Amino acid sequence: QLTPSSFLRIGQLSNVDLNEDTHELETEVPRQRPNEIPHNEKLLSLKYESLDYDNSENQLFLEEERRINHAAFRTVEIKRWVICAMIGILTGLVACFIDIVVENLAGLKYRVVKDNIDKFTAKGGLSFSLLLWATLNASVVMVGSLIVAFIEPVAAGSGIPQIKCYLNGVKIPHVVRLKTLVIKVCGVILSVVGGLAVGKEGPMIHSGSVIAAGISQGRSTSLKRDFKIFEYFRRDTEKRDFVSAGAAAGVSAAFGAPVGGVLFSLEEGASFWNQFLTWRIFFASMISTFTLNSVLSVYHGNAWDLSSPGLINFGRFDSEKMGYTIQEIPIFIFMGVVGGILGALFNALNYWLTMFRIRYIHRPCLQVVEAMLVAAVTATVGFVMIYCSRDCQPIQGSSVAYPLQLFCADGEYNSMATAFFNTPEKSVVNLFHDPPGSYNPMTLGMFTLMYFFLACWTYGLTVSAGVFIPSLLIGAAWGRLFGISLSYLTKGSIWADPGKYALMGAAAQLGGIVRMTLSLTVIMMEATGNVTYGFPIMLVLMTAKIVGDYFVEGLYDMHIQLQSVPFLHWEAPVTSHSLTAREVMSTPVTCLRRIERVGTVVDILSDTSSNHNGFPVVESNPDTTQAGWVAGLRGLILRSQLIVLLKHKVFVERANLSLVQRRLKLKDFRDAYPRFPPIQSIHVSQDERECMIDLSEFMNPSPYTVPQEASLPRVFKLFRALGLRHLVVVDNRNEVVGMVTRKDLARYRLGKEGLEELSLAQT
Amino acid sequence: MAPPRCLCRAPLPALALALLGLAAAAGPRQTPALELAQELAEELWSAGLPGDLPELEPECRSLLAAFAEGSAALTDCLGRRARPVRLCQGCHGPYRRLLAQYGSIARAVGNSSESHNCAKSILTSDRLQIVVTLSEFFNETWEAANCANCLKNNSEGLSNSTEEFLDLFNKSLTCFEHNLQGQGIDLSPNNYTEVCKNCNETYTKLNDLYNHLQRLNRQGGESAHSAHLCIDVEDAMNITRKLWSRTFNCSLPCSDTVPVIAVSSFILFLPIVFYLSSFLHSKQKKRILILPKRIQSNANLVNIQEKYS
Repeated sequence: QLTPSSFLRIGQLSNVDLNEDTHELETEVPRQRPNEIPHNEKLLSLKYESLDYDNSENQLFLEEERRINHAAFRTVEIKRWVICAMIGILTGLVACFIDIVVENLAGLKYRVVKDNIDKFTAKGGLSFSLLLWATLNASVVMVGSLIVAFIEPVAAGSGIPQIKCYLNGVKIPHVVRLKTLVIKVCGVILSVVGGLAVGKEGPMIHSGSVIAAGISQGRSTSLKRDFKIFEYFRRDTEKRDFVSAGAAAGVSAAFGAPVGGVLFSLEEGASFWNQFLTWRIFFASMISTFTLNSVLSVYHGNAWDLSSPGLINFGRFDSEKMGYTIQEIPIFIFMGVVGGILGALFNALNYWLTMFRIRYIHRPCLQVVEAMLVAAVTATVGFVMIYCSRDCQPIQGSSVAYPLQLFCADGEYNSMATAFFNTPEKSVVNLFHDPPGSYNPMTLGMFTLMYFFLACWTYGLTVSAGVFIPSLLIGAAWGRLFGISLSYLTKGSIWADPGKYALMGAAAQLGGIVRMTLSLTVIMMEATGNVTYGFPIMLVLMTAKIVGDYFVEGLYDMHIQLQSVPFLHWEAPVTSHSLTAREVMSTPVTCLRRIERVGTVVDILSDTSSNHNGFPVVESNPDTTQAGWVAGLRGLILRSQLIVLLKHKVFVERANLSLVQRRLKLKDFRDAYPRFPPIQSIHVSQDERECMIDLSEFMNPSPYTVPQEASLPRVFKLFRALGLRHLVVVDNRNEVVGMVTRKDLARYRLGKEGLEELSLAQT
Repeated sequence: MAPPRCLCRAPLPALALALLGLAAAAGPRQTPALELAQELAEELWSAGLPGDLPELEPECRSLLAAFAEGSAALTDCLGRRARPVRLCQGCHGPYRRLLAQYGSIARAVGNSSESHNCAKSILTSDRLQIVVTLSEFFNETWEAANCANCLKNNSEGLSNSTEEFLDLFNKSLTCFEHNLQGQGIDLSPNNYTEVCKNCNETYTKLNDLYNHLQRLNRQGGESAHSAHLCIDVEDAMNITRKLWSRTFNCSLPCSDTVPVIAVSSFILFLPIVFYLSSFLHSKQKKRILILPKRIQSNANLVNIQEKYS
């Protein structure tokens, strides 16, 4: 326990002499041995840093602003629009590429397997077909999983949690790199072709974001190409705006839902929102869906038709029987309840599985083996279901892409095969639109059950794949089953069209799993192309979210938590007003003097035990009221800035030596962005260590500060709303007493028994 | 404004004469259509309608009568051949004739004046436009049946592949009959194995030819409509397949149960082994806790929880 006086003493000490202070602390508190615990959800990883959303208004920045005239700012504005257009076009093209390749490869695979099955049905030896199917799937998935596990693990999964974190202000390493995009696109193609219970829609959002981040910087660090354009946008603030546009473009290309895309960005990410940004994001979304539409139309041979606005088309829902009446709304709400419960079950199962995976299956080769096994089992389950099904439907007049006859009568096909022997997207559309009577209730029931577990098992594998389509498929299957039983109960009333209930079931299931509200309603509405469905879909999603939230969180939030990401929600936990900044902050703070010795800076930066990124800059002044010195806060400098300074050797002595030396400009900082070299790569000689470095020009002279007595919600609000990375806590003499960072705030969480505190861990 | 057709004024007596002439030419076998036309004329006559009433020219009237006759013939043909479907084989003649008749109505120009033509007076003079409706109906039926698919390009007679198919079809039917004859009438469903064995060759040939035709058709055609073969072929195949699969129960029995179960249970067993072994042998990943640099105050978590619980 520290009394206020001793606390003050530490504060003073830390400001006066830093090095000694740290030594002193280490001797005072005997360092505990590293405490090892198994991974759990109540951890925050040190791996994740914040983005610098706050602009550093140092002298260089002011100079540059003075230099750039008004007209130049107008061109900046135009450039923003150009970038958004390019984001839209490229995202659309990537979506087209994925769609076309998947269609062809999956078609090839299904044709090969179908021919094989047809051959062996007559001759006997169907177990070979099963082996062929399982091997094909497993080998394709193996390639997909290999590239993800060994080249870019961040490309695993749907990418939506990662983008959500990025937009929240967390810097996820590698998340917006070109390499990630390439792996993501190839990975998603391979996992869909490999027959896993996955969709290609979720990864589009990640792809769109990477494209946005890449284009807006006008260069690629991976390819070592700098196009010398858009240099103005090389900082986190601008990049993050473009990434939100890219995410929107991705949604819009995936579902043909431009407004849904904008709302997705709004709901999931962009904390910093203004109307111009919204309008630009909307522009990017529209361009994206239009590009996809026109290119796919040309590919399908009807160039002027523009009939495929998204990767998945729900088809048209405008026939007479697809309408709904007021009496059906309670039924829809009931479906929402079912969706919420099933979604919660899905999430809970996936939670245990993910925990197991993090703890035990962490080696890349094990992850690849797991993905292969899942692929083989998926094929086997599909085969066995098809083999055992006796549900035959006439082939004539149905739109089955790969009809499997198996033991059906000639001219009929196995109806289970329409669900399993197809890409998930096609199965969803079939469930929505096949005429009543195309599916046996038994078939649908078995399919729902099996696919539920398969999808749950698949999500979280080390392959890049989304969860949207599997959720829709599960929901569509039980929704259709529901519709069939409803029409059976009501003696075949005309209003109980199973397709409509399949749609509502799909919405309920997806809502129950991902718990998105506004954006998902609009996405579903736009994907069906029927505005009147807006109301029931909204009710269904609302119910599913309420019911689901009662049990567990949404899938994406759950995964963010399991990854130990310091994610800041909209508000601080409600019961945290009694906590003050003093308890929240980290202390003591490593400070720098305004004119600091180079050696000190280098030592602080290379200290591995404290990987700090922001350093308050202080200056000692004689105290007027009391005797002694007061080290008042003067500004804040970032690690990245210090590194650039050290790299260019901006030392006081050198400036005196060579007056011709070029002055450092903001451009030098931008050129180093976003991959600043580590301190180890910068060589500082023994002589140079004795030089002095003047930080006053480069530091942010007006960092945000709070007094020690500020409550946690207050600190949180300031931090969250301004997108800060460092918030300095000062006492009434303007002395630095602590520093609040993202991890200090994110560790408070409202758990089951009240306020919980997460611990920090190295991962 | 007077409609343009009022310009031509065929005097009613002349019209009646012409009609009579036509009737005489038709001889004793008066078609119902002609009778109707005559009745209509008589009705008009008796009603004492003014002389300038626009009426059909004799040429047009004869064209109309021919169309009526043709459509009656086609309807008759279609109706008679509805089950089992033999539309395209049997009715392509009447259909072609009807097309020609309709064409001549649409093209024909009356001789009395340039501004007059039969197309206008027959096809577009009233709300109902029965001739157009009829001809549309026939065309749609023909297209829905997809008859063009099994006719020659000039639609005279069946195409070679269709002939071949029907030939095989007849052969298999004969084979079915032949093999069933030996047995009694009250066959139990299980006793058809004889048929299955003996006719398998013909049936398979037929089935293969059908599938082949279908594939050819799908490759050639682009629109969704031409994905179908013509209805005669489809129906013939359907009948045969139904006989084969449902009545004779010759479709493939569920086979290979044991190997399939063995292979699938092997594959399903693999993940269990995998998870168990990774649980037992893989080293659990540990996280190293980092002690945060904080003021150890009284208001730590335990206190918070006490306060709020």
